[in-house]
Amino acid sequence: MRDLTLTDMERLGAFDEAERTFQMTEEAFRTFYELTARPVRVYLARTTGDNRLADDLLQETYYRFLRANVTFTNDDHRRNYLFRIATNLVHDHRRKPFIEVPAVTMHEVIDEAALANAAESAARRLDLHKAMKQLKPRERSMLWLAYAQGWSHEEIAGAIGVKTASLKAMLHRARQRLLKALNPGGGS
Amino acid sequence: MTPLRQGSGTQGLECPQEQLVVNAVLSGMWPARADESLVDHAATCDTCREIASVAVLLRDDVEHARIEMQVPAAGQVWWRAAVRARLESTHAAARPMTWMHSITAAIVLGIFLAVLTAIWPMVPAVIATVRSLSTDVLPSTVVTSAIAGGLARSAVIGLVAAGLLLLAPLAVYFVLSDD
Repeated sequence: MRDLTLTDMERLGAFDEAERTFQMTEEAFRTFYELTARPVRVYLARTTGDNRLADDLLQETYYRFLRANVTFTNDDHRRNYLFRIATNLVHDHRRKPFIEVPAVTMHEVIDEAALANAAESAARRLDLHKAMKQLKPRERSMLWLAYAQGWSHEEIAGAIGVKTASLKAMLHRARQRLLKALNPGGGS
Repeated sequence: MTPLRQGSGTQGLECPQEQLVVNAVLSGMWPARADESLVDHAATCDTCREIASVAVLLRDDVEHARIEMQVPAAGQVWWRAAVRARLESTHAAARPMTWMHSITAAIVLGIFLAVLTAIWPMVPAVIATVRSLSTDVLPSTVVTSAIAGGLARSAVIGLVAAGLLLLAPLAVYFVLSDD
């Protein structure tokens, strides 16, 4: 998209139009964003393995959310819908070349090492990142939604577009693969 | 409290207690402050033990990532979304105009080709008329042939020039337009 220079009047026009086009006001959006942005950003970063891509997808996720013509029954429904958009974006993107999951940077490890028990924690996280790297994007999504977000099987099935019964088996396989990747020498 | 049964759900794929285990881990109570019977159950249930170990790792990662990761300000995300919505609606509004321009260009081109097709058979007749007129006026056949040849070339050049004059602005317009 080409760069545009907007005058103040155009900006005001864009905001007025946004209020009409989007499903919530700016004030409501700010509140919702403060509650959800970090979990969504972490989810996108961990499932794509690319921080820059995660930033782009974060913006896209909220844009699609704002433009969605959906009536939400409660906050959980709203949050789940947001994660569903993020999940679909990640899955759309996975058709592109293989997603490389970067290991934890030395900067992060050094910072962690300054804290008590941090070295062990950083090593565990590094192992987790390496193990997650060996999984398929959909498996990462399932595991993340199930065990980092605490979603029910029905919610995850709805988000990734599979039947609940199938999801249980897929989740089991993903869990086994993760544990095997974490502990290659031992059993599951 | 009643001891929890070991999960024998879908051939070890799931356990009725697994969501409780996940909730306990995500709330930060696992294992020290979690329900003892649930912890005991997880010790004997393969599914719950696996789930607890995975959930503990992921929760630890989430906790660190949430501290380290920076997200754009809400106002910035809103502003970008607003500008994009505005651009998309502008594009949507301009789409019928683009279609109309394309149709107009096609009509003009069609008319030009129709006129060209209509007058092209007349060109030899016009040249012949000019040749006979010049023969009557000018006695020399060399001069007459030269004038007729020049006229024929001029007619072709004129038609090509007319075509270029018509097509060039259209081409420039479509090349420089956004769509």
